[in-house]
This record gives sequence, C-alpha cells and structure tokens, in this order.
Amino acid sequence: MATIELQNLTKAFGDLIAVDNVSLKVEENEVLCLLGPSGCGKTTTLRMVAGLETATSGDILIGNKNVNNLDTRDRNLAMAFQFYALYPSLTVAENLANPLYADKLSDKEIKKKILEVADILQLRDIVNRKPHQLAEGEKQRVAVGRAIIRDPECFLFDEPLSRLDVQLREQMRGQIKEVLSDLKKATVIVTHDQLEALTMATKIAVMKDGYIEQISSPHNIFAKPNNTFVAGFIGTPQMNILDCKINEINSSILKINFLDQEVQIDFESPINLNKDENYFIGVRPRSFEILDNDRVDTLSGKIDLIENMGSEVLIHIKSNELTFRSVQNRSHQLKIGDSINLKPKKGQVHLFNKDGKVIRNE
Amino acid sequence: MKKKVIGQAGWLWTLLASVVAFIYFFPVLFIILTAFRSRSDTLATPPKWFFTPTFDNFYHIFFRSMSNSTEYVATGFHMYFFNSIYISGISVLLALLIGTLAAYGFSRHPLRGNDTYMFIILTTRMLPPIIVIVPIFLIFRITGLAGTYTGIILMYTAFNLPFSIWMMKSFFDELNTEIEDASRMDGASERSVFFGVCIPQVKAGLAATSVFALILTWNEFLFSLLLTNKLTRTMPPAMARTIGGEINVDYGLLAAMICLFIIPIFLITYILQNQLLRGVTFGTIKK
Repeated sequence: MATIELQNLTKAFGDLIAVDNVSLKVEENEVLCLLGPSGCGKTTTLRMVAGLETATSGDILIGNKNVNNLDTRDRNLAMAFQFYALYPSLTVAENLANPLYADKLSDKEIKKKILEVADILQLRDIVNRKPHQLAEGEKQRVAVGRAIIRDPECFLFDEPLSRLDVQLREQMRGQIKEVLSDLKKATVIVTHDQLEALTMATKIAVMKDGYIEQISSPHNIFAKPNNTFVAGFIGTPQMNILDCKINEINSSILKINFLDQEVQIDFESPINLNKDENYFIGVRPRSFEILDNDRVDTLSGKIDLIENMGSEVLIHIKSNELTFRSVQNRSHQLKIGDSINLKPKKGQVHLFNKDGKVIRNE
Repeated sequence: MKKKVIGQAGWLWTLLASVVAFIYFFPVLFIILTAFRSRSDTLATPPKWFFTPTFDNFYHIFFRSMSNSTEYVATGFHMYFFNSIYISGISVLLALLIGTLAAYGFSRHPLRGNDTYMFIILTTRMLPPIIVIVPIFLIFRITGLAGTYTGIILMYTAFNLPFSIWMMKSFFDELNTEIEDASRMDGASERSVFFGVCIPQVKAGLAATSVFALILTWNEFLFSLLLTNKLTRTMPPAMARTIGGEINVDYGLLAAMICLFIIPIFLITYILQNQLLRGVTFGTIKK
C-alpha cells in the first residue's frame, strides 16, 4: 500500500513547458483522474510518475520514498496504456504472464494468477488467442488484466477507454471502477473524457497548459468550479459564461445586469463584490427553471434553436443579440420563436472576477 | 484487408502480366541457355534454340587449359566465389548490426539536431563512389589495408551503413513505443526491450535491409577491382578478367559464371521473400 505524491513537478521539452510546477497527492485507496484537453500535460505527468519520462525538476514520492532516480522497473507500478500495448506475437495468456516473469514465480503460480485475472475480467474464453484476433473491448480488458495481475504499489491508466465505442465504454467504466475499488490502491487515471473522470474518480485534477487548475472531489469540481476554465470544461452542455455588471448589492441579494437585462439573484450569504464592476456570471444550462411570467428574478428571451437530446431539449435563447443555452424537459412543448422566462436556480449561479477566478463565500 | 484469390485477376490480365514478365526475364533466360551451349552453338547466328546441352562451360570455370598447353589446371575460381560470399556476408552483417543499433539510437533517443545528423549520413551516398576512389586508394595504401579482407570488408560496411541506418530507422519509427514502455513497466531492462520487444517486430526490416545491402555488395565491381589482390578478389572483377581482350571472348564460360554468380542471391531472396514483401511495402498499410 502506498501513496503517490508529486512535489513541484516540472517537465520542459526545450522551450515548451509541458508540466508546470504540479503538486498533488494520491492517498491509498484513492482514484485520481487527471482531466484536461489534449496537450495539457496530463499524459506527461503520468509518464513521469511511471519513470518513462524524466522530470526537469521536482520530486516524485511513491510510498513516501523519493523515486526520482529509480528506473521504471524498480518503481513497482503497473500501467495500462491507451493503445493497449499488447505484444502482438504473444497470446492473451502470455501477455498476462509477462509482468510476472520479473517476479520469478513458478509456472504453477503464474497459471493460477492468469486464471484468476481471466475470471475477474471475463477473459477465460480468449486466453489462447493473439491480440489481432481480439475485439477492442477484449484488448482493453487484457491491458487492464496485465496491469492488475501483479501486486504493484500503485496503478496508472493512460486514457484507458478512449478507443472504445460509447456502449462498451459505459460497460468498461463500471467494470474498471469495480476492479479498482476491490484493489484499494492509489490509482492515477488520465482522461480527456469528463464523464469518465466524474464516474470513476474519487478525486479529479483538472489540468490546462501544464497547470493544475483545480483538485477536488468530482462533485465539487462540478458544483464549485474554481475558475471559468474548469466551469466551462466540466459539464455538458457547457456552462453559460457571460459578461455581467453588478447594479445593486443588498446583503445577499444582488441585482446583476447581463444580456442587457437586470436580474435579481439570491446568493443566500453575502458575497464580497464591488458595485459597478465587471464580472463573469456562470449558469449551467440545467440550472434554469421556466416560469410563466416575466419577473425581477427571471431572464427572458426568444427561442432561437432547439436541439433534441432525447428526453430533454437544448434550447438556444436569444436576448438582445446575445445567446445562451438551457436544457429543459421535452414536456414543456417549446417551439422556435416562443418567448420564454427563465429563473436561475438558487445556489447554482457562479460569479467569476475578470481574471476568471471564482468569487465565493465558503 | 481483403485477400485476393489467385485466379481472380482473369485470363487477360494474367496473359498480359506473363508477357511483361517474360520480357524482363528474357536476358536471364538467354544467359542460362548460353551457359549450356557448346562453343559453336553459342556463336551461331541466328541463335540456336534447340541444342544438346553440355556442362563443359561449368567445368571450365574451375579447370581449364591455360595458354598453349593441353593440360587442365585449377583456375582458383572457387576461391573468388568464397571471397565474394565471405566479404559480402561479413560486411552486410556488420552493416546490419551497427546500422540497427544506430537506427534505434536515432529513433528512440534523438540528439539535438537529429535530422541534421541523419542528413549528413545520407550525403555520403549522394556522390558516385568513383569520386572518392583516389583518396580511398591512398588511405588503403598507407594503412596497409589494400588487398586485405579487413580492408574491403570495412569498405563495404561503410558503404552499406547509411542505407542500413535510414532503412532501419524508418522501421523503428513505425513501431508503437507503448509496447516498449509496457515492457519497461513489466520489469524489462533496456537491453531486453531492444532485443526482446523491438528486434522481433522489425524482422521484415532486417530482411529487406540485408537483401538490398547484399545485392549491392555482391555486385560491386569498382572497389573490389582496385582494393583487392589475387587472393582476396571477389567474383565481379574475377569474371571481368576472364573476358580477356575484345576478341576470342568465351561467352559460354562467362554465362556459366553468371549462372553460378546469381545462385546465392537468388536463394537468399527466395528464402526471405515473405519477410521481404512485408519489408518493401512497409508504411503502406496503416495499423
């Protein structure tokens, strides 16, 4: 059992700084997702933990031991790769056995372990096949199997589900989560899929341009984003982030001007703001409720476009040449051109300053 | 990938392909036939297509009468044959060994200005070799390498290296590095990553590179002519010496020599043909 700790980890490729001063800690039994757009440095961070890349500066501690100068094979980690990295000429069983050779186990023990893992991941029927005879989902399970067959200190997953189709992804997500919660080890998963992160992780680190923008629980990342980047990156459809101006501050009740309308919003507790200053206001598309009439606490506008999302519809609302979006139940029977009054739900409105930092009273 | 069944091409295309193939093959066929003709049949005009085959030419390669005597003496041709096999074999192996290691280095651990190094390596093949023959000859004279096996083997190794490096680098570049990383995670040392993971995946590349290098070395004439002596001479200059002057050329003998000369290359290409096909078409099929 071990923790993973990164202290001021930095990686530069020439002039390009891929990972910039990253510090984080993954406890035992914790699943950390590194989440971010392509090229944000999340895979580089993972590779540095694995020892496949050397850090420019900073420290990596596994089980409170500095492993900066240890080779990959001496770090006792297991990793599942994005493209599975199965040995093409070996069968599934041989692929699974490969990590065990370094531990010098007997053939009997190796066989026992292979069957154990094959049972967990339902690979029994295909242990004698070669990778090119496998379906994507099976390859993926073999890759996970190869990672969990040994008893390493920690697990690393590099975009484990990115190559699967939606249905399979959903299924594998559950399966991996189940396997991980049985193993109770510090785990780092790299992904660009927020749904994957939100469902599998116990903690999420959102990265952008080599920086960690926020580390928090999946719920907090979604409900209390630290800045406009996290707010915009997490949640589909994307959060509406609009320019706004505070017109009036009356204890916890603010009169905010955005979309050229003045809307009264109740923040429950007073917030530290200045009148007549510019801010960003963020409201998720699902955080609006439809009201019948125009009131002081509603936004009004005309429906410009309706996108079907199954049981819900995503409506684009135009108000004074600006648009914002809202998700509403299909049962509202909305039509393009309709006027609509929307009230932002209490506690689900976020304010950010001009630098994009959230303004919040904890 | 859809596999084409033999015969699917249809008769017309098969016939057309056969005609083209025959045109290419005709000179080889003519030489093979000439090797089995007697001297009078060889010189007959128009060429005689039906004749009684004889093995005299093949016998004369190794034993024949010199100048005026009627006594048959050994020509020492087997030695030239051995020299060719020995020199090209060793130099191709050396070039392959050094080239593969260098290519792996260039591919996996690029230096600052990696492309420049690769380009410089390539430039050594941009000029026709004859341009550097004088300095090379002088170097060989001064160092005493002229006429030795070591000298000509080193020469051919150097000659084949740029090609081996470029070719093998492109094979290494094609590999999925994740598999190498995965084996590192599985506890493999750098050496076993190279020998256990990379090398088995570039077998086709090794086959293609060695065959190309071998053909180049096997057929090389100029350097062998200038840098070997009576004892270390390879087949091409030895054959050229047999021609003698402009008159009285024994074409049958020459044809028989050529027949023997192409057998090793033919065999090796045949043995490696499956690997070779994958090797020369690498990069055309995306994984």
